[in-house]
Amino acid sequence: MAKQSSYLPRLTRTWWLKHRYFKLYMAREATVLPLVFFIGCLLAGLYSLLQGTESWAGWLAFMAHPLVILLNCLALAASLFHAWTFFELFPRVMPLRVGTRTIPASFIVLGQWVGVVAVIALFAWILGSGS
Amino acid sequence: MSTKKLSIQRYLPEQEATPYWQEFEVPFDDSTSLLDALNYVKEELDGTLSYRWSCRMAICGSCGVMVNGIPKLGCKSFLRDYPDTLKISALSHFPVEKDLIVDMEVFLDHLAAVQPYLITNAAETDEPNRQTPAQLEKYKQFSDCINCGLCYSACPQFGLNQEFLGPAALTLAHRYNLDSRDQGKQQRMPQLNRHEGVWSCTFVGFCSQVCPKNVDPAAAVNQGKVESAKDMLISLFKG
Ligand code: SF4
Ligand code: FES
Repeated sequence: MAKQSSYLPRLTRTWWLKHRYFKLYMAREATVLPLVFFIGCLLAGLYSLLQGTESWAGWLAFMAHPLVILLNCLALAASLFHAWTFFELFPRVMPLRVGTRTIPASFIVLGQWVGVVAVIALFAWILGSGS
Repeated sequence: MSTKKLSIQRYLPEQEATPYWQEFEVPFDDSTSLLDALNYVKEELDGTLSYRWSCRMAICGSCGVMVNGIPKLGCKSFLRDYPDTLKISALSHFPVEKDLIVDMEVFLDHLAAVQPYLITNAAETDEPNRQTPAQLEKYKQFSDCINCGLCYSACPQFGLNQEFLGPAALTLAHRYNLDSRDQGKQQRMPQLNRHEGVWSCTFVGFCSQVCPKNVDPAAAVNQGKVESAKDMLISLFKG
């Protein structure tokens, strides 16, 4: 522990403003905020669907509001940014091996993006064939 | 020979209760390291300056300081890379004893807590303990740590809570857990499983950026989370 003669400056609340690196980290953590809004929208939609036609129409109107669209676009951008950081970190947390060889990190990152594109394509196909 | 300004944070508790900044002008060329510059200050300008060093080749891990707010090894940083004044202070998150000298006791305690040595069930023999290159490869990167503590100065979680075992100690634990000659994992897991073990890490990742030996402690800590989760699940089933 700190002795009498030593000093130990405490971390201030604004520690993360000191470097670009910490700001980027905080941005990654902050992506959760617009996502919470998006999930709130989804839950409200489910609820209004149960309430009947009128409230469903109300929810649709709410979703079409420019501000709501803007916030949801922000949520999309935030989740893509978060996915990017997550995909970059993943191979470091779970290095995959085949036999005695470690799969290069860039391969794993690419694989994850291929997965994202596949899921988007699948949904586009489902939604497209539904209408 | 051109010169460069160093602004050094001085702390001399017998003379002044609070730290203060002092400027020095030192000659430098392309090969002048920050450690060379500090040696110049001590020998030519102010003999009262205190700092640590030994190997001057990035092996002993004793010359860590903050340069413009980023943890660096003095012997591995070069004045040529800094266009302006270099602001030098003692490593962050450790109690400062004098000038650039910090008290590393917490760090050493955390290292010791993870039992960083081979633990084997087998009786002592004179037989060599064989290991294949592939088995070595699994932990090799994590064994390059020189215990410089830069990663602790880079870690805001350690800055907020000194009880957090921190990057290097958790990396060392993981390094021994991955070693094919070691059987001590079960003894180390309780330390990793604690809140102050791997779970205090939020993957800021700055520790890996500042590590002078490319150990990638953030990767080791987060691999430790996977191990810890497995360990807790298994013990849950065992009851
Ligand atoms: S992990 Fe890197 S930064 Fe941390 S103590 Fe070891 S060598 Fe230094
Ligand atoms: S003097 Fe040994 S690491 Fe710098």
